[in-house]
Amino acid sequence: MPSDGIANDFSLEGRGALVVGAESVVGRAAAVALSEAGAKLLIASQEPGTDAKLKEVAKAVQAAGEKPILQVQNSAVRADLSATADLAAKQLGRLDILINAFDAPWYGPAETADDTAYERVMDSNLKRVWASCQEGGRVMVRQGSGVIVNVISVLADRGVPNASLYCMAKAGVLNLTRALALEWARKGVRVNALETGWLEEPASPTNADEDFKKTLLKYLPSNRLVKPEEIGGALLYLVSPAAGFVTGEAIIVDGGLMCRV
Amino acid sequence: MILDDLKLDGRVAVITGAGRGLGRAMSIKFAQAGADIVAASRTRTQLEETAAEVGKTGRKCVIAPTDVTSSEQVNALAATAVRELGRIDILVNNAGGGDDSLGKPIEQITDAEWRRGLDTNLTSQFYAARAVIPQMVRQNRGKIINIASGYGLRGGKHNYMYACSKGGVLQLTRSLALTYAQYNIQTNCIVPGIFPHNEEMMRFFKGGKFIPIGRPGDDAELGPLAVFLAADLSNHINGEIIAIDGGGLAGGVTPTGVVPVLPAEPR
Repeated sequence: MPSDGIANDFSLEGRGALVVGAESVVGRAAAVALSEAGAKLLIASQEPGTDAKLKEVAKAVQAAGEKPILQVQNSAVRADLSATADLAAKQLGRLDILINAFDAPWYGPAETADDTAYERVMDSNLKRVWASCQEGGRVMVRQGSGVIVNVISVLADRGVPNASLYCMAKAGVLNLTRALALEWARKGVRVNALETGWLEEPASPTNADEDFKKTLLKYLPSNRLVKPEEIGGALLYLVSPAAGFVTGEAIIVDGGLMCRV
Repeated sequence: MILDDLKLDGRVAVITGAGRGLGRAMSIKFAQAGADIVAASRTRTQLEETAAEVGKTGRKCVIAPTDVTSSEQVNALAATAVRELGRIDILVNNAGGGDDSLGKPIEQITDAEWRRGLDTNLTSQFYAARAVIPQMVRQNRGKIINIASGYGLRGGKHNYMYACSKGGVLQLTRSLALTYAQYNIQTNCIVPGIFPHNEEMMRFFKGGKFIPIGRPGDDAELGPLAVFLAADLSNHINGEIIAIDGGGLAGGVTPTGVVPVLPAEPR
């Protein structure tokens, strides 16, 4: 089979991968994609009390490949993230891949957003990603190799009304990605981002407002939302051995939306 | 299986600048992924070498000597692909490069140099997209991959034609992406960093000392990204500009590879 040549370039056979935020829609899609490509996984939660959700994701991961290790944790707690990174390295043999799939949506007018909202949005969308990159990066720098992908949103690049805090946090992750990529470039650790367009998911604002949905779908070049599993390809490329020269880069999966004026 | 969505079995890829360097490397990788190749460049002897390499994979390679600055020849290239292999699934707009105007003070650059450079790097990509799109629309499927450069996003000293033409490639990508999304044609752009093709270039770029990752790219590293953008696995990636540059474009505020400019001691 001549076409197997390409599968070998992208195969994750024998690689150890940690997905943090695996209970989220994108976390689940990421975990399943990595498993299908042959990686061994540790799936960890973003929030505590997510045992049932995580078990459900574990089933999907196992159906795609090997049975994953589960870790219900509170990603707001630094010690949890640190212990999870160490556990992944120990149980999987190596921590080759770290996916940060943190997300906590927020919408609201800027003039009425209080400091509590600020703390919550920045903590769950930015600070935890920073901490997870630090803890996973520490293990990877020690190994002398590894790749991190931060899954974010096109709102890291563009503004949208009534989402000021969210836009700010996501942009923070994007530039954190670039800075870490440069800092760890010669230590064998690559750091990249994946930006998703408007996702087809329960939390989508299109589910709350029929008019918004109609207008948005007309505006999207593909006239449809991004299916969560469609992030799998870009994610696989970024973590695969084929992307050894790619770092500090963000790949956007949005069907062409970002080309619009 | 996710890895199956990378396969290009039964697809036909038209690749320009396929006689050497990145174009030849991509032709071989596309063939390894299962595609039949239509290899275009000016020099027949170089295309024959590419075809011999592609032949080792067991895939077909039609050679089509083409001057990409001639719209007649580019139209003929598309016609050859359809006549010989029946369809066009993928176009890789790779032909182009620097010229003698690079490094010259602006007042010494002639009208002819400016026009020839833009024709080679930008107009050629427009011609090729225009030539293949009707076929892709009929198929209701297509992938266009344009090769640009970091100079399409950043400026360069005494670098006019190259920076402007590669910047134009990014914009061509975006407008094609928006216009043809509805026909299931995805257009994306690869921004390669430094890929030296010979010892002289390697010396010029100081062995990659100024690249964050500490080394230049290898021609073989571009192929998998191009295959990904040509395969079903990237079907919802459209109008995207992807850098493969060892971290070059992520930085640029301090020089890399000289000394750590910011202190390593926390403060």
